[in-house]
Amino acid sequence: MDNVQKGRRRVGVIVNGSLINGLEMKLDEWYSVEDIRAGRFVVIEGEKSRFFCMVTDVRLDTTNPQVLADPPDEAEELMRQVLHGTTTYGTVCLRPLLMTEKDDVTGDIPGEPHLVKTIPIHFSVVGEAEEEDVNRIFGHEGNPRYFHIGQPLDMDTPVCIDLENFIERSNGIFGKTGTGKTFLTRLMLAGLIHKDRAVNLIFDMHSEYGWQATQESSNGGRLGFVKGLKQLFGSKVAIFTIDPDSARRRGVQSDFAVKIPYNQITVEDIASLSDELNLHPTAVESAYLIWNKHGREWLSTLLSQEPEQIKDFADNVGAHPESISALHRKLKRLEKFDFLQKQVHEDAVYRIMEFLGKGMHIVLEFGQQSSFLCYMLVANILTRRIHDLYVRKTEQYLATHQPQDKPKQLIITIEEAHKFLNPVAARQTIFGTIAREMRKYFVSLLIVDQRPSSIDDEILSQVGTRITALLNDEKDIGAVLTGVSNASWLRGVLASLDSKQQALLMGHAVPMPVVIRTRDYNPAFYSALGYVEGEDLTRKAESNIADLFGDR
Amino acid sequence: MQDDEIGEVIGSSNIEFIAESVLLHNSPPFGTFIKVQSRETIYAAVFNAYTHSLEPNRLAIAYHRSDQELRDEQPQIFELLKTKFEAVIIGYESEGAVRYHLPPQPPRIHSFVYPCRPLEVRRLTSQFHFLRSLMSVEKAPRDELIAAAIRTAYAEHKGERSFLVKIGKELIKIIGDDYELLSSILRRIQD
Repeated sequence: MDNVQKGRRRVGVIVNGSLINGLEMKLDEWYSVEDIRAGRFVVIEGEKSRFFCMVTDVRLDTTNPQVLADPPDEAEELMRQVLHGTTTYGTVCLRPLLMTEKDDVTGDIPGEPHLVKTIPIHFSVVGEAEEEDVNRIFGHEGNPRYFHIGQPLDMDTPVCIDLENFIERSNGIFGKTGTGKTFLTRLMLAGLIHKDRAVNLIFDMHSEYGWQATQESSNGGRLGFVKGLKQLFGSKVAIFTIDPDSARRRGVQSDFAVKIPYNQITVEDIASLSDELNLHPTAVESAYLIWNKHGREWLSTLLSQEPEQIKDFADNVGAHPESISALHRKLKRLEKFDFLQKQVHEDAVYRIMEFLGKGMHIVLEFGQQSSFLCYMLVANILTRRIHDLYVRKTEQYLATHQPQDKPKQLIITIEEAHKFLNPVAARQTIFGTIAREMRKYFVSLLIVDQRPSSIDDEILSQVGTRITALLNDEKDIGAVLTGVSNASWLRGVLASLDSKQQALLMGHAVPMPVVIRTRDYNPAFYSALGYVEGEDLTRKAESNIADLFGDR
Repeated sequence: MQDDEIGEVIGSSNIEFIAESVLLHNSPPFGTFIKVQSRETIYAAVFNAYTHSLEPNRLAIAYHRSDQELRDEQPQIFELLKTKFEAVIIGYESEGAVRYHLPPQPPRIHSFVYPCRPLEVRRLTSQFHFLRSLMSVEKAPRDELIAAAIRTAYAEHKGERSFLVKIGKELIKIIGDDYELLSSILRRIQD
């Protein structure tokens, strides 16, 4: 080929294809079919454009069916060699993902990659993708808006995610349990914090983001500990907890113990928990009656009633005594939560807002209180109020247009998201609202979930970037691909992911869907984030002292 | 230096010719490459050879003697026998370059025939066009002829296996769908 294919290793030529169904390439005879993996990248040099493609399928083909009826046996080495690449050959199905126009004269690629609108001419040469191609498409980590999240399957070039685009929408991290969702999430959060693109509020159900967490080895056993966000970023991250005892037992220094007064719990909060609390719809209506009478103190008033007073109380608010009695009985469960109190002297929400306002990231640990009931209750109450405050801040910003009034983009991470965002709950919880209204109010979600099919379709279709580890269930795969055009070929890719350290990225923050080996979460990663320890720390301290006070 | 001739053209056409061997029973081997010094040097591959009596309607008679006894007792009968061979033209040389197509004129009658030198065989067979000429022969089993020619060429290519593989792939293009023919040729090359 001429100058355009210089240095690129040839893989084959395009022989067939269509824009909708993808392209077919005849594999060169000196290239083994076994070296072609689904998900790898190749570049097609068309006449006028260069196409960036992903391998979606590999097939063995023959020009002569007779050969298949009477295949050469093992001893006929010459026959095999002769047939290989001529009568029998490999066909590789390619999905063109991006194209860039070539300069007519020089053959250079001046333009930005954009979506494919056409296909290359017959017999266009296909070559292996190189580092430069990957960088051109996924950006380079030298640019602060890009964060290196992994590598393509068979290359060592970083694949970067565009954080600027990432924070603009709500995002999802999906995957079966044990496929590395938590690691992916921690990785993404570390990237967001490191590049300081947004402030994070993480509802950390299993207390695995803030302080150290255990790492599973590839054979399933526990391998050791990895550093949490607080360890990596120090004062940039604050750990809040609703279970200070658990934090103390684990040796975690929490910055704030969250207490929630009863008067911050609204009927909506309770309504969205009706599944967990096993509430009847009439119970919710009764709760509204109490609210009408007692306002914000409805819950404490209800819970302070003795069983024999229920009937009078019911008459008083105008509700059915049985219904009030059932509500009373069921809500009594809330009393056992230590973090719910009649009076608190410091409002957790203001404290959170204060930290967020300072650009600090908050990990809210649940410690022992990791029941869904507790998790959803706290996440709902806090998020609703934080969202209200953000709406107010945004309105102020819209009024003043002062840059200092612009609220800092907030990303709220929720786990087991389908509990909040299933078709019923999504209409009641604040998370449904946030997911739908997107970035209008500078708040977006990072949804971590293992059962995406339970999440409301409308919300899934609004998810900007999806980072998906292995999923097996057809329904889940279908759900993750909701709102992705031409997604059928991605199904195969998704189902063929390894169960460890592999993920499919697609959506707003990457120019095209890509399968990656996720970056290792190890000391090399820590130091890339600027974390220093041991001797290096001493050296850094000494150099800082020298900078401050001069050499002594 | 000119090699000794091995035959003389006694019948010719644009695509093949017949030559009479200089020595009885000493035609060039089947599937080897020969050349005719005519107006141009014409290259050909031997596809047939036979020995018969001078008189067209008479068969030789069996004497039940060994070759030596026959030579001692009846030397004249050898004078009555002739060895002839037929070859298919695969190209010619013009202005110092080998052309892989038929010569403009057939070889002249009475031109001498010489064996190709190793270097010439290498040059002729470094391009695989000769296979197509061999495919057109109908008077000899094609698989045998092609296999023999490839073996000759292979010997001159120092037994490089890659040569065999390359020529095999070329054969597939020429033979097309006939998998049987291909496998019978390849089997013959391999032995």
